Amino acid sequence: MASATQKKPNLDSVTTINEDGSRFFLHPADVDGRFTHWRRYVGAILLSIYVLLPWIPINGYPAVFFDLLNRRFHLFGLTFVTEDLWLGFFLLTGLGFGLFYITAVAGRLWCGWTCPYTVFLEHIYRRIERWIEGDAPARRKLDRAPWNNEKIFKRSLKQFLFFLVSALIAHIFLSYFVSIPRLYQYMQESPLAHAKAFGVVTFLTLALYGSFAWFREQFCIILCPYGRIQSALTDDNTMVIGYDEKRGEPRGKATDPDNGDCINCSRCVQVCPTGIDIRNGLQLECIGCAACVDACDTIMDKLERPRGLVRYDSLNGLEGGKTKIIRPRIILYTGFLLLGLAVMTFFMRSLHNADAEVQRLAGQPFYFSEQGVRNQFELRLVTKQNEETTFTARVVDAPEGLQVNGLEEPIVVPPQSEITKPFFALIPGESYTGRVPLKFEITIEPGDFTVESEITFLGPSLYFVREQLEKFASEKASPEESTAP
Amino acid sequence: MSDTPPKAKPTDQPGVFLRDHVYDGIEEFDQKLPNWWLFTLYITIVLFVIYWFLYYQMGWFQSDTEKIDAQIAVLEQKRDAELQKMLATLDDDGLWEMSEDVAAVQAGAKVFEKNCVLCHGEDLGAIGPLGQLPGVALNDTDWVHGGNPMDVFNIINEGSPNTTSGMIAWSTSVSAADIAKVTAFIMSHHTKGEEWNTVPSQYAQPGEGGTSTPPPSPPPPAP
Repeated sequence: MASATQKKPNLDSVTTINEDGSRFFLHPADVDGRFTHWRRYVGAILLSIYVLLPWIPINGYPAVFFDLLNRRFHLFGLTFVTEDLWLGFFLLTGLGFGLFYITAVAGRLWCGWTCPYTVFLEHIYRRIERWIEGDAPARRKLDRAPWNNEKIFKRSLKQFLFFLVSALIAHIFLSYFVSIPRLYQYMQESPLAHAKAFGVVTFLTLALYGSFAWFREQFCIILCPYGRIQSALTDDNTMVIGYDEKRGEPRGKATDPDNGDCINCSRCVQVCPTGIDIRNGLQLECIGCAACVDACDTIMDKLERPRGLVRYDSLNGLEGGKTKIIRPRIILYTGFLLLGLAVMTFFMRSLHNADAEVQRLAGQPFYFSEQGVRNQFELRLVTKQNEETTFTARVVDAPEGLQVNGLEEPIVVPPQSEITKPFFALIPGESYTGRVPLKFEITIEPGDFTVESEITFLGPSLYFVREQLEKFASEKASPEESTAP
Repeated sequence: MSDTPPKAKPTDQPGVFLRDHVYDGIEEFDQKLPNWWLFTLYITIVLFVIYWFLYYQMGWFQSDTEKIDAQIAVLEQKRDAELQKMLATLDDDGLWEMSEDVAAVQAGAKVFEKNCVLCHGEDLGAIGPLGQLPGVALNDTDWVHGGNPMDVFNIINEGSPNTTSGMIAWSTSVSAADIAKVTAFIMSHHTKGEEWNTVPSQYAQPGEGGTSTPPPSPPPPAP
């Protein structure tokens, strides 16, 4: 019905929602031009990365492999365990801040060029639709057509392919978590054998299918939180896509010399995937895809007028002013970015592919006897290496009289595993001076690096120890008391 | 009731109206929500009813807490049953027999190495390279809590009556079968019918049960 016709976008209502709340389906027209080409290249690269990452082995694991089963996370040859999860802080804040930064400088570049939603929609689903149903007028015609054989065939083929592609994307997604060989094995078994994995893939397939076959631009316009944040981060110097009102107005026939450069051909409106008219100014719905830029440039080329009536520029630039790229906000953001990077680098230095830590054993914190004060510890050793790892521990700056039992031999840990080795430390009563920190230095092979771990040696009060020592001494003096018959 | 309040201000766009209020210069359009948006509200209402019916009325599904509690109860029951079964069949003679079974003793040695070695020593003597360990020596004929295999089994299972410095109860972390095996391992260092003495714990304070007055002779070991 309504979707078969065209609408005139306005600033008071959303084009894709009709007055009665029903959906107005858009059929963006074909567009050709430099940004369209570049966007296709970027899309192709991003899609290849998405598809190929689980296939590229680095250090014996896929380039990106979140092994949930073994709780090991392999990223480009580095292996992380759940204890390294705190690094996720840098990942999340880094991604979030990166988005802020790019948006402040270059507007919604993310939305139009690299967002997975846009990439899948523009470069896969819309291409399939274009291939089966033809260009925008043909698609509108098909919308209007009765359900004859041709329409049934085209629509079912399209929906079938949409579903197939969705299933494919979902399976690739799963392979990031189970790896390709395991995914292949799962696929040969009954779905019930791996119900959870199958459920995830089913849900994703349906979600992707629903999103790209039907929901489409509604997500960007209404649901996506990043779109909202990005709109709020845009200022007068941010690069956006805009219409040069000064040059374009008044719109009208090209033959009339009093008119501006805009001939009101509405190509920019026809190609817009969110159904807005860019000439109404910067709008919330604009995902910065640059389709209107290419569309307008094509027309300007035909009219032999300069390109750029609709172009990438800041609001200041569109008004005829200068764009200030370096402004306090950008300097501040750059400072934050550098600070974050510095903090991350600092913490990353402490990250090794093996780790050791001294912990107190459960039970009594210390024991006191004739031999002295004894503490029981355990050495927790974890290796993320694919080979046997040898740990050699020693105490640095040992307090006087300290004896450590259980750490004499180097400890060999099997590949990719974690073990604990109990040991104890003893300080004879005569040398005991109260609580003292023990600093352990653990040398790890292969890799030849050391990690340090500190723990406090606990004990009773010095006064009590002295008193008891005297008692022991006096007991020794009367031999019949010290030995059982 | 009459239709919605008079649509106060028409806009340039036919069919689009502004509501009659202005706050800080902000005005509100009076437009219909997208149908799919309303549908998400309806579906949550429907889901709530289904959920409420299945969980709270029919009790067909358990909440996560209930699931975990049930699982823990099953495990506890299983452990209790295993222990009861073990205790029903277990006696001193059986454990002595087990202490001669190489496989059982080897399995027990593994359990010992993992849990007991730190306090009782590698050779069961409770002597480490640095001297006395916290545990009691298990390779001599002096026993604090009795030297029959069942005494040993029980003290491992239930822990020392001395709750401040004695051994913990291992029943929570080691299965009854493993406790039996480790008992067999310990008893493999002894011979059936050997004489043994009851001695006070090394943790007994001087004065209470000191070593100067040995306790009365122990009961003879079980025949």
